[in-house]
Amino acid sequence: MTAFLRFSGWAALGLMVAWVLFVYFPSLLARIQPNTPPGFVRVENGWVYALGGLLLTIALIVLYSWLATLIVNRRTNRKRSFWPLVGQGLTHLFMFMVLIFAYYPVLQILAASFDPRNTLYRILPPASDNLLVRARVLPDFSQLSWENYIQLFDGIIIYPYQALMLLVAALCLLLVLALAAYRRIIGDDSSDSRWGRLQGRSLTAFAILGFLLVVFISPNQFTGQGTEAKFVLWVRNTLFVSGITGILAVLLTATAGYAFARFDFPGRYPLLLVFIFIQMFPGFLGLVATYILISNLGLLNTFTGLVLAYSGGIISFGTWVYKGFLESISKSLEEAALIDGASKWQVFTKILMPLSAPMFVFIFLLQFVGTYSEFIVANLFLTGVESWTVGMGLRNFTTGQFSTRWGLFAAASVLGSLPILLTFYGFQRYFVSGYTAGSVKE
Amino acid sequence: MYRSPPGARGFLIAIGLLGGALIVATLFGLLMFWALQAAFPRPVEEGYPGYLILIFATLVLIPILVVLGRRVPYLTDWYYLLPAITFLLAFTVFPIVLTVYYAFTDYTGIRNGKPDRSTETQIVRVEGRQLFVDGNAHDLLRCDQPNCAGQALEITTRTQRARVRAEQATEGVITLTAPPPFTPALVYKINEFRFIGFRNFAEIFSRAGTVLIPVLIWNIIFAAGAVFVGAIPGLILGLMLNNKNLALRGFYRTALIISWAIPVVISVQIFTAMLNVQFGPINRLLGLLGAYPIPWLTDPEWFKMSALLISLWLGFPYWMTATLGALSTIPDDVYEAAKIDGANGLQTLTGITLPLLRQPFIPLLLGSFAFNFNNFGLIYLMGPQPGVEGRPSTAQAADILITWAYKTAFQADGGQAYGLGGAISILIFLLTVAISLINFRFTGALKEVR
Repeated sequence: MTAFLRFSGWAALGLMVAWVLFVYFPSLLARIQPNTPPGFVRVENGWVYALGGLLLTIALIVLYSWLATLIVNRRTNRKRSFWPLVGQGLTHLFMFMVLIFAYYPVLQILAASFDPRNTLYRILPPASDNLLVRARVLPDFSQLSWENYIQLFDGIIIYPYQALMLLVAALCLLLVLALAAYRRIIGDDSSDSRWGRLQGRSLTAFAILGFLLVVFISPNQFTGQGTEAKFVLWVRNTLFVSGITGILAVLLTATAGYAFARFDFPGRYPLLLVFIFIQMFPGFLGLVATYILISNLGLLNTFTGLVLAYSGGIISFGTWVYKGFLESISKSLEEAALIDGASKWQVFTKILMPLSAPMFVFIFLLQFVGTYSEFIVANLFLTGVESWTVGMGLRNFTTGQFSTRWGLFAAASVLGSLPILLTFYGFQRYFVSGYTAGSVKE
Repeated sequence: MYRSPPGARGFLIAIGLLGGALIVATLFGLLMFWALQAAFPRPVEEGYPGYLILIFATLVLIPILVVLGRRVPYLTDWYYLLPAITFLLAFTVFPIVLTVYYAFTDYTGIRNGKPDRSTETQIVRVEGRQLFVDGNAHDLLRCDQPNCAGQALEITTRTQRARVRAEQATEGVITLTAPPPFTPALVYKINEFRFIGFRNFAEIFSRAGTVLIPVLIWNIIFAAGAVFVGAIPGLILGLMLNNKNLALRGFYRTALIISWAIPVVISVQIFTAMLNVQFGPINRLLGLLGAYPIPWLTDPEWFKMSALLISLWLGFPYWMTATLGALSTIPDDVYEAAKIDGANGLQTLTGITLPLLRQPFIPLLLGSFAFNFNNFGLIYLMGPQPGVEGRPSTAQAADILITWAYKTAFQADGGQAYGLGGAISILIFLLTVAISLINFRFTGALKEVR
């Protein structure tokens, strides 16, 4: 019976693959119109050249490996096979192709951000000797300018104390980066070492200064004409909302996760199920209801209202992850403390909270990153250019009533993704471990 | 130490006490708010902000909780859950309940239960139940029923407002069902929404053949396909990068997670620009290889392929990282033993590595399926879709259930049919629960919780 089931499973899979290969893909190809629009460069049988080039590269790799192994074998008088070297070479070739695939959009957006001509939708091909540039596969770098970026920063007034804070914050960030590089070189992994503590402190200083800057910047400082001149304000709004949402997520989930992990009260299991299943309702479809609630509270078009609207969606996952984390910590220390007469609250604040710092960072970051690129809820709750978030602003560049402004969109994308890129790469360790720990638990 | 009464009794007592405290606090907040309004009336347009209710409620909740905690010590265990539960009740449960209710009504952008400010009508004089207006009351208020029978109205003065119901309206007189609580100056029509039972669901299922079923099938294919196109390349990359002799290993690993780190709101929009039929770099590149321009975003079937292509770009770093994480837990001596037994590379891969990856991968695969099943951001951000014959504008070629629901509920071309959108949401909820139950069954997560 099981053999039959397994066979029919494979047979169904085979049929599906066959259908996709022999029916679906040909029908897809038949949907392509065989004509070239003006300015479109098409090379008949170009794939033959490309394939030839690829095969040539592979042949070169094989030849190089063979020669290199031959020379090394001559010198050391050993007889090693050259195939492992070929494998390495081919792996690198493959990795480079994947890198090109991964970074091609990044390259395009970077190029567009430095191009003042908004060239994405231009019919005339650039005058260039390079076929790739003429076909506009590679961006045309002949006219680089900062114009798009200048438009984003147009008319911003920065007070001297803010400039000073910005400078100190930038120095702190540089110090963090330099220390990180230095510690990697000397192989210092402990966060308790001298340099580790210095790095932690400067990171804290950077965070505090950044937060103060975000709070003290006001819409009055953005005097530029046009919506795009408010971009920095949008970044500030987004950072503010994401930061507060992240902190709220930690505050709300920490005690709940502790209770679920350590207390044995009646109703714990059903309540945990409620926490999980409630989250499966498509959250933002409750938007009209949330909107009515926030509007009755008189918090429309305020960041408080937006944060409250987000707060419903952040509880379950954080509680779940933090509970899983606490369950992986031994209880013995807490039990000893309880016998010594400590209260549950003292156990939580004195013993568990210091241990949980990495998990709090993970929950905060996850919420921060998630909120940063949110735009649907923000779009509903915030009105007026001055309270927009980055996501809303970017949508406006591509779908606004004016024609699509790719140059501005590109420049804003580059600047707008920087905070998240920095966070992600800076805290990569937390993300990777937190994600895998959390999802394996789930 | 204190002990809670065991079983359902302890649970019910705790829930009852906490719920009671919350209700008492909320009522107190409301009372204080009304008292404030009555004592120091403010104009209707700039009334006291509603969040004062929350502040008053919190002010009284804290002493109640302290007293309760003294009298019933085991209740303090619940205090750790109280912030989370309160927020969950207010900003998740309440909206869900309201949405479920709306799913059984004909709530739309127009019929939203709010007064229609364009029907503002001056009241000249009030006599008992009768409001006198200047002109034909039925035309001024634009009533839905003849003679405004049963029409809901809002009456206001500068500082007060109330909802009333009309019995009938003749030439210049509106007769209410009861005398107004104050002497009103203005009257508006309220655009009521009505309870319509299962009619929204009936509408969804009556057109199931053209909308629900195709959308659901594509939704499942998309979710499975997105997992597949992310997981397979990610797995291959992870296996390649796990080779400890490979130079630049750390560099590749770090460099390749770029697409995970860029906010989706940015990367998807970049891709839609790159996939433009005539101007997009991707078609230009394929043109150099001899292809004719591919209608990535203008042909319904190719639009689906584009969605999967973007999923590939977005998804592989996660799977690469997951593979590397899972591989790092496999001890080296397993491989050494295989080597001693004379296994070649392929045998090691199919005999050891892949079977060992299965255990950690199943929950990740199911979780990723559940995520992509409701991957609103990707599909929505890809922008306007090519039309499909016979389908409404809210459920086009690549629309999945959640974008269909969103467009139905919130976009003008869906008529802002919030009731209908709510009905679709309930279906999505049931499907998501079903997927998650399968997930839990496979991974045994719920048993572990016990």
